[in-house]
Amino acid sequence: MALLLPCYSYSNSVVPYYGTTGNAVVDNNLVWDMGNVFPAPPGLTVQNVIYSYNIRKSTEDRVDVSVQNENALGEGYVFRETDSWLPGSLDNTEINKAVPVMNLPKEVWGKGSIEVDGNGSVENANVAYTYRVDPCYDPQYSPSCPGYKVPIPEPVQVEYDVYDADEHADDTQYSPDDDSLEEEEKETEEEKEKREAEEKLDSKERLEKALAVANTNLLFANSFAQAQMLDSVNTATRMNAYYSTSIDGGTYKEELSIQDKQLPDSYKGLRNGLAQQVLHEKMVSMQYGN
Amino acid sequence: MFKKLSAVMLGALASLNVLAETAPIHAFVESRCIIQTDMAGTYGNPNAYTLSTAAEDGGDPVVIRFDVTLADSYYAEITAPQEFSTSPIINEVMTWEGDTTVKTVSDATGMGEYETNKVELGMLDRYDLIATGSTWFETSSKVALGGDKAFPGGDYTALVTAECIAK
Repeated sequence: MALLLPCYSYSNSVVPYYGTTGNAVVDNNLVWDMGNVFPAPPGLTVQNVIYSYNIRKSTEDRVDVSVQNENALGEGYVFRETDSWLPGSLDNTEINKAVPVMNLPKEVWGKGSIEVDGNGSVENANVAYTYRVDPCYDPQYSPSCPGYKVPIPEPVQVEYDVYDADEHADDTQYSPDDDSLEEEEKETEEEKEKREAEEKLDSKERLEKALAVANTNLLFANSFAQAQMLDSVNTATRMNAYYSTSIDGGTYKEELSIQDKQLPDSYKGLRNGLAQQVLHEKMVSMQYGN
Repeated sequence: MFKKLSAVMLGALASLNVLAETAPIHAFVESRCIIQTDMAGTYGNPNAYTLSTAAEDGGDPVVIRFDVTLADSYYAEITAPQEFSTSPIINEVMTWEGDTTVKTVSDATGMGEYETNKVELGMLDRYDLIATGSTWFETSSKVALGGDKAFPGGDYTALVTAECIAK
């Protein structure tokens, strides 16, 4: 189980991978374009340049051979390795060399070439590059990449058909119905002038009404706003008195007391009751015709 | 008398208390010269009485690589075979030929003259490894059976000996 744990975490993360290009030297010109050499993924860095060739020279000659790549982002070379074949080195000796480079990104690798300085040449040239690709160079490559952000979907662009009143201003003069167009063509000049005058008058009246309604609405809105404002001011005035009043603490004892032990009848009530009785008797007597 | 006896007894006790210890000192020295067989050879059989590693004879020479990390400290000594290590019984005299050459270098300037400056002692070729890096040596071998007699059928194996000799 302990052995499986590292494997599990390894498989869940996006790890860099390594590779080697094919032979960059495609012809006897000994010049190559790097665009065709490296694979496409971003985040590629070159780790080593591995090259080999056979030197062709006379034993007594000195020949300097340089394997190089121009700097694609500036001047000079990003890589240049020179082999000096001194007098005494034999013809057709092969060199096989691996030169580490400091993980240079592929963007800086410009045109490559093998340059021969001296009375000699090279054969069977082979130049390859070992590289490392970090898929997480773009953090959005995978949710496992550090710095990954959950993508927010782009809002759908809805194409609205916007009505342009100016564009269709003249359309109001016409009816979509072909018959009405024909009828309009049949109108006489006099009828046409009359109709246009009426329409003009109607239009003016409609405008006046609209303005009047607008003014009324505006006045009503202003009055309503002012009433609300006054009401809020009055409310504040009424309530502030309560907020500022303080009541003294302590005990408030009841002071009301009844001293009489018997409550006598009211003389006024007695008089009222007698009057009622007299009235009652009078009404009864009236039933009997007295 | 008592004093003498005591002295003898003390001497005996002292001799019992003498202890011996040995403490090892370990070391592991990694070789600065490593030899690897890059390609095992094969004998071609161009005719009944000849075995050859030459490409034109259908064979492949042996390729041995020397990796040196300490300059000017070693000789490479490579000896082409002069007998079969395994083979059917052969009663005839065999004629052996062999040669070693520098096939590939990793440093043109430092190793370019290895082949020119090598010393040949019969089937043995000695190279002065003055530069660090890798050198590939190619050893060819050819053997012919005396009297143009045919080699008996069977498996044949011959060994190339490669050594790093410290200076």
